[in-house]
Amino acid sequence: MDTSSPSVFVNAELLRMHVGKKVRAVVHVIQSDGEITTGKSTDEQQLIVKGLPHVSLMSYVEVIGIAESDQSIRAETWTNFGNTFDTQSYNQVCQLANGEFKGLFL
Amino acid sequence: MFSSSQFDATSAFAGGGFSFTQQTQPTDSTPSPAKSRETQGLVPVTVKQISEASQSGDEKSNFVINGVDVANVTVVGMVFEKVGRNTDVAFILDDGTGRMKCRRWMNENFDSIEMEEILDGMYVRVNGHLKSFQGAKQLVAFSVRPVTNFDEVTFHFIDCIHNHLQTKSQGEGLTPTQPQLVDTSLSTPMRNGSNGSQTAPSSQLSGQFSIDGLKSCDQLVLDYLQQPSSIGQEKGIHRDELSRQLKFPVEKIMESIRSLEEEGLIYSTIDEFHYKSTASG
Repeated sequence: MDTSSPSVFVNAELLRMHVGKKVRAVVHVIQSDGEITTGKSTDEQQLIVKGLPHVSLMSYVEVIGIAESDQSIRAETWTNFGNTFDTQSYNQVCQLANGEFKGLFL
Repeated sequence: MFSSSQFDATSAFAGGGFSFTQQTQPTDSTPSPAKSRETQGLVPVTVKQISEASQSGDEKSNFVINGVDVANVTVVGMVFEKVGRNTDVAFILDDGTGRMKCRRWMNENFDSIEMEEILDGMYVRVNGHLKSFQGAKQLVAFSVRPVTNFDEVTFHFIDCIHNHLQTKSQGEGLTPTQPQLVDTSLSTPMRNGSNGSQTAPSSQLSGQFSIDGLKSCDQLVLDYLQQPSSIGQEKGIHRDELSRQLKFPVEKIMESIRSLEEEGLIYSTIDEFHYKSTASG
């Protein structure tokens, strides 16, 4: 049982509060050129992800990694969430997991 | 349906005035306050919650989460370090809140067939029994299923929050100030009409639970308008944006806007479609 290294649910707005920490976010891929992937966060803002292989445009990718700045994440693990995903609900989970229900997550 | 919570007829509800005819899910309602929660079913939890669970007695006794006995849980996370042996398959489950050991005993053919499909790095839903072994908490899994629709991941965490709130309100007993909390579990059919997202066929999640149900539309509109991003907008927020973001029909939004305006909590700006909160944020 090891809860020492949780990944915080973030969207673009929450990312800036966790720079330097391990975070997880779902991005809707807009551009992917091998090293840098540009995507839309679940709160409709632009996020940069570094370290992803080429991913198909318009797919949703969950990225888990270290927040390098308030706009970029360096990926350690990623999962392709497919072409359809409910970003609204995920966005609300981000807000709840950082707010009222932080204790269940971090 | 994804519902995993059971409505238990504890004394907390007996005097609360909530008639059981309102229940929409069939329950094996025990006539007396049941101390044994074996009938609870699978409790959705995060690994963090499990790590904080205490045990009511010795190693053989049940775990306690939120003051409630919990035996069987459902967790969603990624598989790592899968090790297969003849007798059992062990792996680590990482759900983002923590990592814990899981073990699946190979009792029947089905067990090995199911586990063969599971690979490291895969998102899975694990249903199992919480156990303590040599001081460490473990999950003895009886079902490990790969996640194919990733809305299930989002759903699981919402489910954990929902269950947490439900057991908390059961523990404290119902107070008149919490009618909306219980509404979520008891009167789901009544909320369907007001919440547009529940009728959307594309979302499997909309079945019985929506975060919006916890708060009234008025509160949600006010919350949205009080967000720093909304306050920062000089001309305020258009009611269509509110309708889109909060997933309520425009009529409902207008109703809320009218009552909030009457309370003096919001005001219209450039026209009758744009509103701002009167609080400075």
